[in-house]
Amino acid sequence: MRNLLAATMLAAVVSSVASAAAPELTAQERQATHDMFEHVINTPTVIGRHNVPQMAQYVADQFRNAGFPVSDIHVIPYHTGSATTGDDDTAALIVRWRANAPSKRPLLLMGHMDVVEAKREDSSTDPFTMTERDGYYYGRGTIDMKDGITAITQAMINLRKAGFRPKRDIVVLFTGDEETNGIGAKKGATEWLDLLGHPEFGLNADGGGGGYNVDGSPAGFAMQTAEKTFAGYTFTVRNRGGHSSKPRKDNAIYSLAHALDKLEAYRFTPKLNDTTRAYFTAKAKMDKGPLGDAMRHWLANPDDAQAADFIEASESEVGLTRTRCVPTRLFGGHADNALPQLATAMINCRIFPGEDPNAVKAELERLVNDPTVVVTRNDDNVASLASPLRSDVTSAYTHAVETLHPGMPVFPEMSTGASDARPFRVAGIPVYGVNGAWVQVPTDFRAHGKDERIPVQSLYDNVVHWQLMLADLAGK
Amino acid sequence: MRRFVALVLAVCSTSAIAAVDPRTVPTQLPPAWQAKTRELFKQAIEIPSVHNRGEVPRVAHLLADQFRAAGIPDADIHFMPYEALPGDQTMALIVRWRSPHPVKKPMLILGHMDVVEAKRSDWKYDPFVFREEGGYFYGRGTSDMKNGDVATTMAAIKLMSEGFKPDRDIIFFYSGDEETRGVGATLGASKWRNLTDAEFGLNADGACASYDEQFRPLGCGISMAEKTFQTYFLTTHNPGGHSSRPRPDNAIYDLADALEKLRKYRFQPMQNEVTRAYFAERARQEGNSTLGQEIRAWLANPNDGAAADAIEANPLEVGLTRTRCVATMLSGGHADNALPQSATATVNCRIFPGVQPTAVQAELQALVGPNVEVKPDPNYIGVPTPASPLRPDVVKAVTAAIQHFHGPEMHVYPEMSTGASDGSFFRAQGIPVYDVDGSWGISPLDERAHGLDERIPVRAMYDDVHYWEMLMRSLAG
Repeated sequence: MRNLLAATMLAAVVSSVASAAAPELTAQERQATHDMFEHVINTPTVIGRHNVPQMAQYVADQFRNAGFPVSDIHVIPYHTGSATTGDDDTAALIVRWRANAPSKRPLLLMGHMDVVEAKREDSSTDPFTMTERDGYYYGRGTIDMKDGITAITQAMINLRKAGFRPKRDIVVLFTGDEETNGIGAKKGATEWLDLLGHPEFGLNADGGGGGYNVDGSPAGFAMQTAEKTFAGYTFTVRNRGGHSSKPRKDNAIYSLAHALDKLEAYRFTPKLNDTTRAYFTAKAKMDKGPLGDAMRHWLANPDDAQAADFIEASESEVGLTRTRCVPTRLFGGHADNALPQLATAMINCRIFPGEDPNAVKAELERLVNDPTVVVTRNDDNVASLASPLRSDVTSAYTHAVETLHPGMPVFPEMSTGASDARPFRVAGIPVYGVNGAWVQVPTDFRAHGKDERIPVQSLYDNVVHWQLMLADLAGK
Repeated sequence: MRRFVALVLAVCSTSAIAAVDPRTVPTQLPPAWQAKTRELFKQAIEIPSVHNRGEVPRVAHLLADQFRAAGIPDADIHFMPYEALPGDQTMALIVRWRSPHPVKKPMLILGHMDVVEAKRSDWKYDPFVFREEGGYFYGRGTSDMKNGDVATTMAAIKLMSEGFKPDRDIIFFYSGDEETRGVGATLGASKWRNLTDAEFGLNADGACASYDEQFRPLGCGISMAEKTFQTYFLTTHNPGGHSSRPRPDNAIYDLADALEKLRKYRFQPMQNEVTRAYFAERARQEGNSTLGQEIRAWLANPNDGAAADAIEANPLEVGLTRTRCVATMLSGGHADNALPQSATATVNCRIFPGVQPTAVQAELQALVGPNVEVKPDPNYIGVPTPASPLRPDVVKAVTAAIQHFHGPEMHVYPEMSTGASDGSFFRAQGIPVYDVDGSWGISPLDERAHGLDERIPVRAMYDDVHYWEMLMRSLAG
């Protein structure tokens, strides 16, 4: 699941900053990037097709051919599956680039090799044959996120060939089921931690990124530092039912409807954390209207719930001020002429980082306030945590963005979706979504959708972006 | 679709006689016939003849086998396969027991072989495993209405074995989709009329007698009129989207709002001849109780809405004062992490006789507002039916048989059924039908038709065989 960019376009007021010419790839590096990208796009790593191990081996081979020692390259097959996704034989790739005398704990680079399904008949060209057209590379995974896999891999190869020697270990973890069950990330944050050398923090290519508006103005680059916790709940009402010709005063469907009416009216307490505070601060600067006013009021007074409600009600900011829960599915009854014995609603919650899903369950029970409505959890997800805004990461990301895109605003963001970062954040390893790809906003927001694509130059810029990031964070 | 046992409180509150638990009174059915009845009942219950499972023909063959073994020729046993719900291959069974010297037009006995869905996970025990416990037979269909199928079949073969010759043909008509679409009864009253034409019908889908929890007889209502069955779908639509970004409008919330309105809404109270007669009798029985006073007030002034509301709110009288609509099913959404693009509630209405379903649809639409789509179930459009005339021969025979088992305190009255049954299709086509099954139960304990842990007192099952034997002797002898 990729959140390429904050959904709002920042109407950036950019002062044109003069900067040194951005570094560029050599023709040979550019060709190698192209070939690797084409190869991985053409490998359909959709769940159930058992192709991830093959891709992992291919990427491993690129590292090995570039001189990374075989003993530090691990293709780890694992199984993923669930009732709703089906099964797959997948794999993770772990590569460790060792420093001679590391002074700090390793830096983790993250990505995922799997992609969302794409059907030939739903696409203009074969989604698993990379196609270059109109200044774009088309294909499933071009922005989610084989661009990031290619960029990290090629950046490390380029740096190594250029004689770069990291001052701390750089460890790569590419998983094989982020789009479905996230088992690779869970293993990474637990049983593979030794192999990863217990990194100090992670940089995730499946987050961050930025773009330009259709009119060519910069739309900003986002650094993902937090994500809400995904948690499912079920409201269940049971009743003894009976014949529908004799309605009872109590009715499972009416009790459920009443609970849903309460949920509709309910708002969780607004909250701010470092990420959203910085995000809203940046947003407020861009917005001189009522929305900007509400942000300024709320930032000045976090207890100003009215201002927070106003922000939350804005289409561009939905979900960013608090926990949100919404009913997504309904089931009830067993025959049209019988009173319902059972009625259920699926409630999907996106919980503010740091809040315990069990506490949300208790809050749902309190707001429903009806013992006949039983609230249960559908999963055992634990609270996602926000990563602290580290000045070294912020500075490296801002520097890389500024180098390639002078005058581009950069701001942190909290994702309302979930990614591989969550188990690491839960395990105490901060993760930052800091990819360097850029797109045209919103025309190119096609992750999971039809005719996914990336601007040709964006692919190559991303390699440079990662080189700059690594030089900054592992070269000093 | 079976109405509950009649809910007529028949005993004066002053009556101080220590009532006997009717479940403990021995049945008069001979032990050998008890055993045969139990075995046939077991076999019938254990066939899960729920719609779309293709099991109804097995019930038809099971019943037909009994008639054949008792001497009914194959030429008079008709298996009538048909499709009910789309894809539901079901069957009706028509059996004609010919009179050697008929002196009257035939008499029709009606029943249905299908049952309402029952989920194993909802029930304490498997609903399709016949079980006897604590003086009850348990299983889906024990009261709705494999009891009636078994009682009418068993009574006929018992009479045959005793050499009884009817003086009119007795036609047994068992349909296979009463609980869903009623296609069988529709065909039975029209296309198959040459096999079913009769002077009147007795429907075994409707036990009449019952007792309250103090074992006082509550009376026996003969259903002569019925509310019109109509299901509507209330649907909301929305563009949907990703659930991490909830929209202000939501199909599920919109539907929940509509259901809150429906929950609070009450239709206009109404009376007709049958319900006036019914409530007059009820007022007499109730004496000076609060309910009795309310009924008298409403009969004196049919515009006394408060009195009608009070009567309707009484569990004994639910559904008898007006049209009622209730939400029975819900569905909505397509993925746990996507905002719903639509949500639908199934609303089942029982419409007061004479009111057109289109009028109720308009009333529902006005109630929930223009953003909720209200549509009738296209698979079944209800048609209001006329009440059947009160035939003295039927009333006399039913009264005699009922009081044989339950004594003179078990009064017999006309009533309006809140549920539609197969009888409605025959009434609509000019054959009067009376719902007069002879099983009974404790009200409201045993009112479990369509619900959980459906059951029938063991004695009530055996009594029912004997009861139908008496009715056939009386009306065809």
